[in-house]
Amino acid sequence: MFLKFLFYISAFLTVFGAISVVVTRNLIHSCVYLLFSLIGVAGLYLTLNAEFIAATQLVVYVGGIVVLLLFAIMLTGGSNLKVLVNKFGLESTPLMGNLKTYIFAALSGLVLAAVLIKILFSSLLKSSTVSNNFFTTVEDVGVKLLTDHILAFELSSVLLLGALVGAAIIARPQRSTEVEE
Amino acid sequence: MNQTIVSYIEHLTDKQFGFGITVALFFLAVFLLVNVMAIIGGLGTYAERKISADIQMRQGPNRVGPYGILQFLADGVKMIMKEDIIPTQADKLIFTIAPLLCLSGVLASLAVLPISSGFTLSDLNVGIFYLLGVTSLVGVGVFLGGYASNSKWAMLGGMRGASQIISYEVPVTLTILMMVMLAGGLSLNTLISGQTALPHGWYIFHNPFSFIGFFIYFIGALAETNRAPFDLPEAESELVSGYHTEYSGMRFAFFALAEYIEVFVVCAVATALFLGGYKVPFNVGGDGPIGQILQLVIFFSKSFALYYVVIWVRWTLPRLRVDHLMVICWKYLTPIALFNLVGATLWVYLFEGRSIYLILKHFAEAHMVGGGH
Repeated sequence: MFLKFLFYISAFLTVFGAISVVVTRNLIHSCVYLLFSLIGVAGLYLTLNAEFIAATQLVVYVGGIVVLLLFAIMLTGGSNLKVLVNKFGLESTPLMGNLKTYIFAALSGLVLAAVLIKILFSSLLKSSTVSNNFFTTVEDVGVKLLTDHILAFELSSVLLLGALVGAAIIARPQRSTEVEE
Repeated sequence: MNQTIVSYIEHLTDKQFGFGITVALFFLAVFLLVNVMAIIGGLGTYAERKISADIQMRQGPNRVGPYGILQFLADGVKMIMKEDIIPTQADKLIFTIAPLLCLSGVLASLAVLPISSGFTLSDLNVGIFYLLGVTSLVGVGVFLGGYASNSKWAMLGGMRGASQIISYEVPVTLTILMMVMLAGGLSLNTLISGQTALPHGWYIFHNPFSFIGFFIYFIGALAETNRAPFDLPEAESELVSGYHTEYSGMRFAFFALAEYIEVFVVCAVATALFLGGYKVPFNVGGDGPIGQILQLVIFFSKSFALYYVVIWVRWTLPRLRVDHLMVICWKYLTPIALFNLVGATLWVYLFEGRSIYLILKHFAEAHMVGGGH
């Protein structure tokens, strides 16, 4: 009963947010809608009893990714897109691509649609709702990460360390070259 | 272990409630908690003025009610009656949504606040992690509020606020991770149940690293709530009043209320993580109603003591410069927090999780036995 409410609210938030991200013209607005969509996804995780992943979703996406996107948009000044008119008199926004990008987009869209249809079709044929009785606790996640998936865990930590060192090098004031010159 | 307040009441009265009554009880508890927190936020502004007045040898508000204690109600009436101004050049959608994001982020964090062993709205098994997630909405709200106002001051304040909140989340999260490792669980009730009521069992005195960790957490929490000496986002001598320069009336009040409630929340979390939480000495009153009331008193008095320190710091220390702020975070607090984390790991491994009190007691007993020979 309660889970159903939660599911409907978060599903509405996710879908409404995702559509608004695409439809709206203002980049900052679409970033805010993305925020709602991501919060909706966290709610969907909660309906599946995956509390840890829901909290991770909030910490990583709401606290990190969305703020990063906002900073990026604001520093590049992309918020004021002007409406342009193409040679056919239709409205077009800049950076929407040319023929090549459209072909790539159409192809990847077709592949994605095929995958989605395949998944949806099999679940529609069975038409059975699997009752989930996982109780994924944090302990289980931690034990799995450090035993079965230790390679992925270590590799991702190396990746993050590399990103950190790279960021430090980019941000470092170039004192040594000044001294040499 | 009680999962929610409703299950505690069920446990107390030996009844099983249906769906309707459960929802009604839960709604009642939420209503109560949010209103109490709003009053605490309001009284926070009163306390701020009164304590600052005390420090500066002034009177402070003393006209409305006894000792001026109803000043916050008068302020609230003033805020509601004010004209609600939205600048014409502002981004209206974001301008209206930003204060709500701030306030909802703070109010969502109340869901896991362990006020007493019974009165916890919901004891999530990822409690402290959830709290970190929802309070990060405040940063987004501050940033969007600053951006949407379309004013240079507000923009600068919002950018400073967002970068400061993100940066200081790193040492705070590392310190919380250390405490989680000591307690062996993310749930706030687990974190409290590892401590005792009297100071020798508090996590702050568990080992040297957690003692340092408390101060790192407190400094980071001051910065995350944009309180002085880290109140650069609203530095009035540089930025008029920062990210809420263009806000008036209730929208401004939402920002202010969010700030004061968040200060209380971080003080409460510090109480729960380091200072023994709601534990009553010698377990007076047990788990019944009297025990719950004693736990509430203990928890609130510890939190208010920290609240006093926050206000005291604000009116004592001058503001930092913006680059010094980042230097403190990235060059001092973060390395110390990392060192702390490694040190606490070694401590837990070497001494099998025993606190320094237990180790000293062990040595003292061994010495006494040795002296008897």
